[in-house]
Amino acid sequence: MKPAALSFEALRDAVERLPDDRLASSRRAALAHLAEHGLPTTRNEDWKYTDLAPVIDISNRWLQRERETAPSHEREKMVEQVCRSIDADWLVICDGAIDNRFATDFEQPGISVTRLSEHGGELQFGMPLSDLNAALLQDGLRIHIAGGATPSRPVGILLIDHAATSPGMSQARIEIELEANSAASFVEYHVSSGAADHYANTVTTLRLGDNSRADCVRIQNRAGNHSQTGRLSVVSGRDSRFRHCAFDLGGKFIRNDLHVDIARPGAQVEFNGLYLAGDQQHIDNHTRADHRVGPATSTQEYRGIVAGSARGVWNGKAIVYEGADGTDASQTNHNLLLSDKAEVDAKPELEIYADDVKCSHGTTVGELDETALFYLRTRGLSEHEAKQVLTRAFAQAIVSKSPIASMHDTLADRIADRLANLLQGAGA
Amino acid sequence: MLEIKNLKASIGGTEILRGLSLNVGAGEIHAIMGPNGSGKSTLAQVIAGHADYEVLAGTVTYMGKNLLDLEPEERAREGIFLGFQYPVEIPGVNNAYLLKAAVNAKRKHQGLPEIDAFEFLKLAKEKMALLDMDPKLLNRGVNEGFSGGEKKRNEILQMAMLEPKLAILDETDSGLDIDALRAVAKGVNALRSPDRAIVLVTHYQRLLGYVEPDRVHVLSQGKIARSGDKTLALQLEEKGYDWVREAANG
Repeated sequence: MKPAALSFEALRDAVERLPDDRLASSRRAALAHLAEHGLPTTRNEDWKYTDLAPVIDISNRWLQRERETAPSHEREKMVEQVCRSIDADWLVICDGAIDNRFATDFEQPGISVTRLSEHGGELQFGMPLSDLNAALLQDGLRIHIAGGATPSRPVGILLIDHAATSPGMSQARIEIELEANSAASFVEYHVSSGAADHYANTVTTLRLGDNSRADCVRIQNRAGNHSQTGRLSVVSGRDSRFRHCAFDLGGKFIRNDLHVDIARPGAQVEFNGLYLAGDQQHIDNHTRADHRVGPATSTQEYRGIVAGSARGVWNGKAIVYEGADGTDASQTNHNLLLSDKAEVDAKPELEIYADDVKCSHGTTVGELDETALFYLRTRGLSEHEAKQVLTRAFAQAIVSKSPIASMHDTLADRIADRLANLLQGAGA
Repeated sequence: MLEIKNLKASIGGTEILRGLSLNVGAGEIHAIMGPNGSGKSTLAQVIAGHADYEVLAGTVTYMGKNLLDLEPEERAREGIFLGFQYPVEIPGVNNAYLLKAAVNAKRKHQGLPEIDAFEFLKLAKEKMALLDMDPKLLNRGVNEGFSGGEKKRNEILQMAMLEPKLAILDETDSGLDIDALRAVAKGVNALRSPDRAIVLVTHYQRLLGYVEPDRVHVLSQGKIARSGDKTLALQLEEKGYDWVREAANG
């Protein structure tokens, strides 16, 4: 079968229809890059398990139609729900457009929020899907944390999409920079509504100055018919610390790429994630840590609970360059399968070219522990309750690693809701 | 309270219980002894409802109900408690959470409201004190990283909180030091009551020095080979299990 292709004519028209602002030349350059390189196919090792055909199809259908935005009451409801449950100073991007109310009012000491179109700099688009993102980007956010600043509340970025009657598509781009000696935390929350197909494509960059600290939590809780690809690229400074925890609770077709570039010694990098997949969901997490120098540590643990006919993919790569002595890299991936039709593809990859390094990896795929289930049932819990208790405990290991403690209870609640749903669907 | 007639059960195609009959009345403490492989643990697991064991023949009646028709959780809510020989470690599930969930599952079954949080904590701490348990264990994962003695005490704690009508303790005494054994015995004796039956499954006579049984049964090859009063346990200790086997075969 011929791989699905983007309709470039329609794409070019869509790019031309965007405002002739400071991002225009970047958009055209990105489009040219995309036209030349195309989107990755499953022949590419990094995309072996994830065929982009479903989102290419949504993109093509979206390109034929007018843009649909969320009815304001729908949007307000989602904004309120998220903002009320998580304590943060919020920024909102709705259907790829920056919500002025939040961006303009944003005033926190040490934090400056601007639009990418105000800067006119080049958008980066060398990586897969980042060219598509740059070509169709309406506008993006730049969040700058001043040197030495340590804002007490997290910066929240809420990304809302809506597709009720016709296929939807949106691009979002966030550039975050922490100057030296600053420390800040970030929540990235993805939600959507509507029963039509939707595809959201996000690009986030995070640059950590020397001795700075960033704590990030990403929650993806999209509607059941909505797809997402997201790329987060991190460059870590000397003695900096980056902690990231990702929760994929919803959506249909999800691919996350997390890439950390350790170019300065003394960096501590920790990224963890949890994915809960049921029905026909496809959730793929690809991570990569480039240890260019040592000493530095990167640790990661991803856990997945996969039910129905869903598929979970985890691919964790660590590359230790020649001379990056004192590197400590570990990666773990544990999976629980709740049905016979569920599938997990787990692949740790270590490439080591230095001598003095400590690297480890471990992967497991299993089912719920029958002995523990029986034990709980002999204490009066129904089989369904016992399964809920055990799956929640499995997920809780990641929640407790999440770097923003004030969100733990909210996360645990959302996860419990989703698990109840998965277990119901799994015929438990 | 519990009436077992000609029970035959197998696991993985191997018949373990081969026509076992036993009656346990309210207020009684029975000890079931026997060598390894005689079917002691199988009996405990079958009563609790473990799905890996297949009942081939016989009946088990509990409080007038056909026990074999009930799911494990229904048996628990009806007042049956199994103390595990090897209590399961469940990392991530809070010990207090499980205790409360277990108590509430039973209360719900009885048509009672959920236990008050304050009341629950008070009760749990009271029972833990009786068992010389560190209250901190309440906030750890279920049996997670517990010592052998702590795990067995935790089983007795669950039993004390659930106040079962019929408790079956499967080798609760094995692997315990003398302090833990005494604490466990104290917990069991505290539950002795005219409307409760307790079945102690044990390999050794040791526990019976602290918890005096009304009846002692010796299991051999999946059947009760001999029954008697507490002196039978002492005889066994002296003569060994071969004596029962010979008597049964002779």
